[in-house]
Amino acid sequence: MAHETSQPGLWARAQRTSVEQLHIRLESFIVLIVLSAVMAILSPFFLSLSNFLNILLATSTIGVLAIAATYVIGSGGLDLSLGSVMGLSGVAGAYVAVNLGAPSPVGLAACILAGAAAGCVNGQLITRAFVPAFIVTLGMLGLARGLALVISDGRVIYGLPAVMVYVGQGRPLGIPMPVIIFVITAIVAHCVLAYSKFGCHTMALGDSESAARAAGIRVERHRRILYTLSGALAGLAGMLFMARINSGDPTAGLNYELTAITAAIIGGTNLFGGRGSILGTMIGALIMGVLQNGLNLLAVQSYYQQMAIGAVLILAVFIDQYQVRKESRV
Amino acid sequence: MQPFVAKINRFTLALGVAMAFAAPAIAEDGEYGVLMKTLANPFWGAMSQGVEDGAKEAGVKYFLQAAESDQAAEPQLNLCNTMLERKPVAMITAAINSTNLLPCLKAAQDAGIKVVDLDGNLDQAVLDKEGIKITFRIGSDNVAAGAQGAEYLVEKLGKDAKGPVLVIEGLSGNVTGQRRAQGFAARLKELAPGLEVVASLPGDWDRGKAASITNDILTRNPDLVGIFAANDGMALGAVEAVYAAGKGDQVTIIGVDGNSDAVKSIKDGRLNASVAQLPYLVGKQAVENVKKAIAGESVTADIAVPTLVLTKDVLDAGKEPMLQYVK
Repeated sequence: MAHETSQPGLWARAQRTSVEQLHIRLESFIVLIVLSAVMAILSPFFLSLSNFLNILLATSTIGVLAIAATYVIGSGGLDLSLGSVMGLSGVAGAYVAVNLGAPSPVGLAACILAGAAAGCVNGQLITRAFVPAFIVTLGMLGLARGLALVISDGRVIYGLPAVMVYVGQGRPLGIPMPVIIFVITAIVAHCVLAYSKFGCHTMALGDSESAARAAGIRVERHRRILYTLSGALAGLAGMLFMARINSGDPTAGLNYELTAITAAIIGGTNLFGGRGSILGTMIGALIMGVLQNGLNLLAVQSYYQQMAIGAVLILAVFIDQYQVRKESRV
Repeated sequence: MQPFVAKINRFTLALGVAMAFAAPAIAEDGEYGVLMKTLANPFWGAMSQGVEDGAKEAGVKYFLQAAESDQAAEPQLNLCNTMLERKPVAMITAAINSTNLLPCLKAAQDAGIKVVDLDGNLDQAVLDKEGIKITFRIGSDNVAAGAQGAEYLVEKLGKDAKGPVLVIEGLSGNVTGQRRAQGFAARLKELAPGLEVVASLPGDWDRGKAASITNDILTRNPDLVGIFAANDGMALGAVEAVYAAGKGDQVTIIGVDGNSDAVKSIKDGRLNASVAQLPYLVGKQAVENVKKAIAGESVTADIAVPTLVLTKDVLDAGKEPMLQYVK
């Protein structure tokens, strides 16, 4: 963070404490605030509690996937199967609950287990068979989506038990359940990544694998855990969407892996590993959420939304690089 | 913080550019919200044209939005929720599948907003279970459209015709494609048992995939006499494959939709027929009927907009009164 301020002291100190401790880039936060202000000016519907909850609800599935993307990309890996695994896990949960008649908790657990299983397969192949992560997870993208279609026979599995629906549609204290689950997941994931040994090792892996190995980190084992975790989080995202629409949809999460990666990168995760924070990723996901919600409220065609998000991604990384280059010039 | 400010300005500038085409939307009283699957398809384009003209004639205000593709189930749900913020009096929705909009439709109903099923993608059994009452459903009868395709084929080849027929279905799991394929197969069996459906394969609404399927089946059944494709794009893919194999005169090809590409191909004498849906009419009548329902008049619960078989003869004669709605 380069700051050329004429009056050091309070501002610089505040910047250091808040930014460095929370591991975020101030720019992305400012962009989020500016963007929200612009939307609030342009649309009379933007600034309301119900719309704020709408944004969080719309961001919940992508947000959970983006957490997975941050961990995996931060460790120098890549998981392209996130969206497909999300679709598979929703179908798995609905199949267990509806077709096999299992009780709700089992159905919910089936979502996360199905996701974790797919992630575990990814991790095993990457670390034991030495196939690059890009290839393995690209293969899993097809495998998981195909399996979801096979299990569901290409149809939506409708009609979950009440408890499962509550997870997606319940509103304790007026807050949608998916939002509560998403926020808790984000807080836990942030603390683990920022303050625990596991999180520290994850970033060390992305920074330099050989250094991590020399420092005694069990690299392969750690990677296997990471990919399994990534799959489990994709399973959680699948569970949230499945419960929201009261059905397992085999096409759920189509192309979401790219959106999740976009959120992580906008939020400051380094595409080549070694740097990333969940708080930053959440800001990245919210930038996209606010952009989409605002453009929806303004009735801007969805084509332009895709353009806007693409532009924001490139801009965010450009600013990032600009900072780094400036720092190295100084 | 000098450079910082400059950078933020660059960002806001870019955003400003991104928003330049967004005119501020203000809430109107008694607006209708119209939610489509996607506009990246002439079918939905024609339907939104119908909505526009219908709203103009009826003197009602509406706002129309669509998801980015006809696969974007969750984005469409999020869009639907956002549209509710504008508090429309009615939501005319073309759902991507039978369940993805349920939470939004429920919320709309709780808010006293009338819900209309555009194009019949909602499942009545599911709606009953969820406790959602729609004002009415409007669309083309897809089973009947498939049946009309079979009737045309039998009319052309005769009741006693024999030979293999190929059915190219839509996307696996898509109800519209299933209904058309089933309607065709059932009616064909009834009218001409000698015409046998030797394969019924999913072409995923994809022109190239339909062409590949056609090639494969022509290899297996060189004496193929007919192809029914669940939409025009796939039918046109089949046309290319059939003509490339030099069997243009031997195989009768039928599509569904009546889109502009198909009309052109029929006029050129390549595609034999297309069962035209009249999406323009569907959109127009949807708005008209919502106005009636809001005024307290009774509206039919299930409005089937007729379909029309387009052939070279019909197009050249130009006498069919419904032709004006083929966009």
